Amino acid sequence: MTATASAASIRPAAGPKNRTWGVVRLQFTNTQTFVWVPVLVLGGIWLITLSVYWIISSSGVEGPMYSGGSQAPLWYFAVVGAQAMNLTFYFSQAMSLTRREFYLGSLLAAALSAFGISLVFVLLGLIEQATNGYGINGYFAYLPWVWEGGPLAAGLTYFVLTMLTFILGFWFAIVNKRFGFLVLTISLLAIALLLMGAAAIVSVNRAWAEVWMWFAQSSALGLTFWALGLCAVFALGSYLTLRRLTT
Amino acid sequence: MNAVIEVRHLTKTYKKTKALDDVSLTIEQDAIYGLLGRNGAGKTTLMSILTAQDFATSGDIDVFGEHPYENARVLNRMCFVRESQKYPEDATAKHALANARRFFPHWDRSFAEELVDDFRLPLKTPIKKLSRGQQSAIGVIIGLASRAEVTFFDEPYLGFDAVARQLFYDRLIADYAECPRTIVLSSHLIDEVANLIENVIVIDRGRIIMDESAEAVRGRAVNIVGDDDAIRRLVAGREVIHSETLGRVSSVTMLGHLSTLDREFIAEANLDLTPVSLQQLVVRTTQSGADGRSVPDTEHRSLQP
Repeated sequence: MTATASAASIRPAAGPKNRTWGVVRLQFTNTQTFVWVPVLVLGGIWLITLSVYWIISSSGVEGPMYSGGSQAPLWYFAVVGAQAMNLTFYFSQAMSLTRREFYLGSLLAAALSAFGISLVFVLLGLIEQATNGYGINGYFAYLPWVWEGGPLAAGLTYFVLTMLTFILGFWFAIVNKRFGFLVLTISLLAIALLLMGAAAIVSVNRAWAEVWMWFAQSSALGLTFWALGLCAVFALGSYLTLRRLTT
Repeated sequence: MNAVIEVRHLTKTYKKTKALDDVSLTIEQDAIYGLLGRNGAGKTTLMSILTAQDFATSGDIDVFGEHPYENARVLNRMCFVRESQKYPEDATAKHALANARRFFPHWDRSFAEELVDDFRLPLKTPIKKLSRGQQSAIGVIIGLASRAEVTFFDEPYLGFDAVARQLFYDRLIADYAECPRTIVLSSHLIDEVANLIENVIVIDRGRIIMDESAEAVRGRAVNIVGDDDAIRRLVAGREVIHSETLGRVSSVTMLGHLSTLDREFIAEANLDLTPVSLQQLVVRTTQSGADGRSVPDTEHRSLQP
């Protein structure tokens, strides 16, 4: 290297941490994706579920009512993950950010959003617990198996599952950008085939009973830690895929 | 002079095509470079690799003495304005500028506001609903107001009308005078940017075919205007790269320097010397490069009587 421009001019004010935090704010520029739509999905499904419970209970049914409706926003986070990646990545490159800064900032933004929605989930569950299912024995967030370990454990489960779907959406979007739609489709098919293969092995060995037993015996918290492990693996995978992504 | 960018034997291959072929060059601090060449010549690829948005197949690059890849210290000091920048879903110009302010350490807010007025950029309309020219204005404003130590403009004026383009050139040159920095302007509107650029880099099919100061390039040729007969006598036997005739008057651009004898003849015949069009020189160089011929350097021949 020959002579290099001196760095004597005003040193950049923004350090690496500030820049990563800047990515969080960049992601939240689009409040619709990260805040309003998740809130709308959760609120909407909650309202619909409650209406259904009310109709059922008014027809004289007394038993406790549960629904899987509270998982809807969770799936929506796969969409959030893909959107956080798609156009924002190219803009982050124009902002002279490194891929690492973009990656960490995006995950941090997702974690904040997931934390918010988990908090709502826990609050709803606590309300349901206190009011015996809104007085009609209908439960949206308070699912006994999830709440076995208490509100904190339930919140953690919800948080981890939200992050898991986010990271999957994020990773698939990166794969799509880097290798194209064809490779993405082939990967998804391969994953489906692998799962089918695993199911086939279980069937051939007539081991379904044991598999269900394992699930039944594991607590929700135990499964949450498994999911956390998956999160880490997928997060690492998406980072490695993002590292060589070009604009 | 200090080098801010050093490129050595840079090659970029996409499957079968060579986008960059053994490129070596040096970019000095506080100068305006014109990166010229036809579409697909490798201009964008070169700038993408220098800003670590793309990767080299082989060769070395040094920006501020370091490799820019995943290097916040280096990237922080650069700004790359693309021809068609993508923005986050539903973002407005206001969002884009607010983010730029956050990430570019030398961002000048009042300058940015001035430019928004100049370009009449609507701040609250979603970017995808803006006209092509308005979208380009966002990039131009970010590139200028970021005042990065090295700024790349890749054909930043797509969709601009002549007024907006002139505005861009005027603001660029005025701000450069106030805050000197390194600017690499890629363009195919060569004559429009000719007065801006101090150094000319011409790239063709991934190879650098010209890397000189604009002055030196212009010195390669002369342009003579005047009586057609007299000009014909003057240019006989020399390489003419451009000529126009209107009645008895001709305007001819020829390669080479003028000898004392030439100058005397020009004075006697009442011919005029006018500035050489950079565009014609570049076009000619590019064409002869495409033919595989080397460009004859400045020739010294005296006038044939």
